[in-house]
Amino acid sequence: MNPIRTTSEVLDAIQQAKAGASDFSTNFFLNTRKLQEWVSAKELYGEAFGRTAFFLRADRGFWHLYFSAPNREELQRALAAMPELRTEQFVVDLVGAEAAVKSWISIWESVGFRPYKKLFRMARSVEKGLALATFREPRIDFAAKADSRVLFDMICRVFDKYAEQLPTLYEIEMATESLQILTARSEGQVAGLLYFEDQCLTSMVRYWLIGEPFRNRGFGSALMRHYLARDVAVRRSVLWVIADNKDTIAKYRQHGFAPDGLFDYVFANEMIRE
Amino acid sequence: MKRIAEILKEIRPEFDFTTSNDFIGDGMLDSFDMVMLVSSLDKAFSISIEGVEIIPENFRNLRTIEALLRKHGVQE
Repeated sequence: MNPIRTTSEVLDAIQQAKAGASDFSTNFFLNTRKLQEWVSAKELYGEAFGRTAFFLRADRGFWHLYFSAPNREELQRALAAMPELRTEQFVVDLVGAEAAVKSWISIWESVGFRPYKKLFRMARSVEKGLALATFREPRIDFAAKADSRVLFDMICRVFDKYAEQLPTLYEIEMATESLQILTARSEGQVAGLLYFEDQCLTSMVRYWLIGEPFRNRGFGSALMRHYLARDVAVRRSVLWVIADNKDTIAKYRQHGFAPDGLFDYVFANEMIRE
Repeated sequence: MKRIAEILKEIRPEFDFTTSNDFIGDGMLDSFDMVMLVSSLDKAFSISIEGVEIIPENFRNLRTIEALLRKHGVQE
């Protein structure tokens, strides 16, 4: 594996896989800003087998595996030739409409990956003119950079590191600076958070959580209502949720979110035994 | 063009796709949405858009989508 030093190395490798491809496939849905962050943080590594390119992102002792392959046969051969799969922990996300994703699963199973979690995407429209509710308790405001460690610890405690693409501390610090994290505060503490990313008309809720001692007091709803009522250009909000997390799905439904037909199958290799 | 706009509206009813020249830049479609759109276009026009064609340039606005469909023999 070689460290990736520029974003163009990634783009060139993807282009090579695409050139003349008969059945091109990838799970690397590029977000240029995110890619640049990963490269700058030296988290991203690359490896090529023929025209198939793998990109590996280091994360808390395991690897997220991304690929760009010209067809299934070449992907399968490249995976079989990758010795790290037998010695290190890897997860891979296969994203798309359910039927399309299922057709690729056998390749990953043939090299020792097994289903770990299934997520689906939910979305809702965001109408203009929602009243921005004010609350005496909790107090809703944007997180400060000084909150970053507390927010990081809360997120790491609650979410699944293999399935939910947890942020690094530096990502949280940057998110606080660009006003992407709302906090609910009570009794002088951060009781909960809603971490989102706006991209023009669409906003993604990345993490929404209330700390254990503050649950069942309406704090989560207060955060969500505040997020949806912000005076911004956003017209659609989307999020990913683990498919068997019934309580959370019910809460999202209460706030108007509904499945939009996209699935994310997370597969883990044999080195992950949880 | 009308049918494409209808399909987009079915996928993302909250947006008016006829007013934008840059669906991606305006945040109306992300790369995941492109995957869903391809599936709908394949079904609606009985074609098979290849993975290599699922790039932002082909889904930037109604005209680029129309051009992509024309390459697959679709005449609207």
